[in-house]
Amino acid sequence: MVRRPTGPTGPLGSIRPWLIAGTVVVLAAVGGCGGPAPRKGASAAGDYPDLPHTTVQVSPGGCGTGWTEPKAGLQVFEVSNTGSQPEEAYLKNPATGAVLGDVEGLAPGTSRPMVVRLSAGKYAFSCLPQDIDTITGPTVVVTDGSAAGTPAVVPVTQQDLIPPTLAYQKWVAAQLPALVTAVQSLQSAVDGGDTAAARKAWLPAHLDYERLGAAYGTFGDLDGSINGTTKGLPGGLADPGFVGFHRLEYGLWHGRPAASLRPVAAQLTKDVEKLRSDWAKAQMDPLALGLRAHEIVENTIQFELTARTDYGSGSNLATAQANLQGTAESLALLRPLLVTRMPSLPAIDAAMKAASAELTALGPVPLSGLSVTDREQVNAVFGELVTELAPVAAVCDVRRTS
Amino acid sequence: MGGSGQVDRRSVLRGAVAAGAAGATAVGLSGAAASPSSPSTGSGSGSGSESADGVFDFHGVHQSGILTAKQRCAAFVAFDVTAKDRAGLSALLKTLTERVRFLMAGGVPEPLGISAPPSDSGVLGPVVPADGLTVTVAVGSSLFDGRFGLSARKPKLLRPMESFPDDDLDPAWCQGDLLLQLGADNADTVAHALRDLAQHTRGAMQVRWRIDGFSSPPRPSGTPRNLLGFRDGTANPAVTDSRTMDQVVWVTPAQGEPAWAEGGSYLAVRLIRMLVEFWDRVSLNEQERMFGRAKVSGAPLDGQVETDAPRYAADPTGDVIPMDSHMRLANPRTAGSDSLRMLRRGFNYDRGTDSNGNLDMGLVFCAFQQDLDRQFIAVQKKLAGEPLVDYITPFGGGYFFALPGVRDSSDVFGSRLML
Repeated sequence: MVRRPTGPTGPLGSIRPWLIAGTVVVLAAVGGCGGPAPRKGASAAGDYPDLPHTTVQVSPGGCGTGWTEPKAGLQVFEVSNTGSQPEEAYLKNPATGAVLGDVEGLAPGTSRPMVVRLSAGKYAFSCLPQDIDTITGPTVVVTDGSAAGTPAVVPVTQQDLIPPTLAYQKWVAAQLPALVTAVQSLQSAVDGGDTAAARKAWLPAHLDYERLGAAYGTFGDLDGSINGTTKGLPGGLADPGFVGFHRLEYGLWHGRPAASLRPVAAQLTKDVEKLRSDWAKAQMDPLALGLRAHEIVENTIQFELTARTDYGSGSNLATAQANLQGTAESLALLRPLLVTRMPSLPAIDAAMKAASAELTALGPVPLSGLSVTDREQVNAVFGELVTELAPVAAVCDVRRTS
Repeated sequence: MGGSGQVDRRSVLRGAVAAGAAGATAVGLSGAAASPSSPSTGSGSGSGSESADGVFDFHGVHQSGILTAKQRCAAFVAFDVTAKDRAGLSALLKTLTERVRFLMAGGVPEPLGISAPPSDSGVLGPVVPADGLTVTVAVGSSLFDGRFGLSARKPKLLRPMESFPDDDLDPAWCQGDLLLQLGADNADTVAHALRDLAQHTRGAMQVRWRIDGFSSPPRPSGTPRNLLGFRDGTANPAVTDSRTMDQVVWVTPAQGEPAWAEGGSYLAVRLIRMLVEFWDRVSLNEQERMFGRAKVSGAPLDGQVETDAPRYAADPTGDVIPMDSHMRLANPRTAGSDSLRMLRRGFNYDRGTDSNGNLDMGLVFCAFQQDLDRQFIAVQKKLAGEPLVDYITPFGGGYFFALPGVRDSSDVFGSRLML
């Protein structure tokens, strides 16, 4: 299985891409004390000619300056960094800390539009200069709005994400021994030259692996070796780099001699054993859990429901069910963070249930055996699910609050 | 498109939309302000020009995209409804209404803050322009199969498209519970609208087949040409004549259809591959005799200009315009052939190459009509075996019923169907 990378892996608190980008901009753009004035050119007024617009400054010396005429409704703030370092800026409810809009990695001397819809209430800008404590600007009161405004969400911090991430690591650790055992059984069946037994042993071992979906980014190169496809291999099916579960699957379901599969099975056993022994030292990026909560199912749609990863076993629907189990685990661990932040959580739960029920109803059949109607139904429930899950990653994006 | 005056009017309209997009009322007003009495601004002109501000009315007795002059870009997308029950179908129709209402008016996409990914793909920039977009919603007979408790409400002539003798239909390219016809001035606007609609309806419907089309500019004048090089749609009835439209296009009480269907229209979509490379190896004389018209001017072979009417009475044995020419078979212009007329709104398609490298292009034939049997099917039967069939292969399509219009900001697609 080829997985889309989830960003840098390794120690907790790995560097996020925007910080790297921000640093580059600093080197290029820092002029002097107070920083350069925002460059003319693109502006909120130009981008949104028909919206009310307000220019607000974000800088250590003046956070939220310029918002003098509060009004309700859809509007755009031109958030302008007049300081000397990169800033993040939030528009928030000062009482709850819930954020309606954010601008990240705003380089000195630049501005960016923030479109929000405001209802009646109290608001303030927060400015988060790099490496400096948050400054919150004056509270502004909007009095005339009655309609609902942009949803406000309390940011999720790295601290918030550490406990569920550690819990997820523990859960994975608890799964790995069964995976190792299942792969060992698979290897002995291959070694014994019993194709029927090997086929039978392949599926549970593969599903044990597929259930761990949220952790792949942390598995690093081992994931490619354990579950890679022919993608990116110049020699395709004959490429020496085509190894792991899918190489075995291809051989077992295409009558390849057992002798040719023995080294592959042996390597797979070694790889999962290494995974188990390395896992104690692994540290998942806290960003990964929220991202993977939606990416696992994105991968299911991309690779399983298209049969891209089918090398003969026809087990994509079973894999999809295992992927759902992995997603359910990450959702369960994130739930305490989501329950106060996502009114759509019941819809997510319903979509998870519907997807699982659909797979159960279809049974373990190959995709090619499904009618058009069945195929459409399974695509629909997974399409619905992934739409519901997408906001989980957005909400669980790591943000600073202090 | 493009005088500065147009831009200004657009801006004003966008302002109205942007200022109140949360309440559907404001969105509705923007259309109403442009044309309080006409249900379809674009169709009102009917002359091939777009309404001045690029915004077609979403609200009205009839849907837009029917009498509307053809836009340059189009997509025909057939869906199967995957919603489990009637409530799910109602929710789907409501979602479609809300999204199409926004997309056709244009405006600033709703900000979602940090609660979700952006609500809009951004393909059209920060402010979505209307750009002449119309989205026309039609239903197929399979929607009335009992899943949604609608069997008693099926338009009486609606059924799966049959295979005609010269057809070579691929079931994967036929039928569908629902058909969306999208049209706009630019291809990115069509793609943007389709992405928006798909994003909001993923669980409730799934694409069954999809084909993109385009209409050509006049070359050099007159009705646009199809990919056989002939002008296509010359004899269309005048969309500005509402009396004619009530006789040709719209279902009226006289048809004895279910009451909810009044103001709707039967839609025949035919995906017709043209064997263009074969065609290009055919002599001009033979090509013209197959159509009955001159390729250069579009004039009937007994006339001088495109708008000339053929005088079949003077040519009873087809010496000038062959009896089996496409034009003469389709509309012999005898007493009674008036009732055959339909409103053709086809688009060219070009979708790469086939399995042995031949160019795959053709026509998305699209015809709106009051009575499927009296109009499209009757004409199709007359065309059976015409010489042109050697150069075309109908491979897909379906019969659909374009729903009546969404009346106002509180109405939704199919509200009377679902009552």
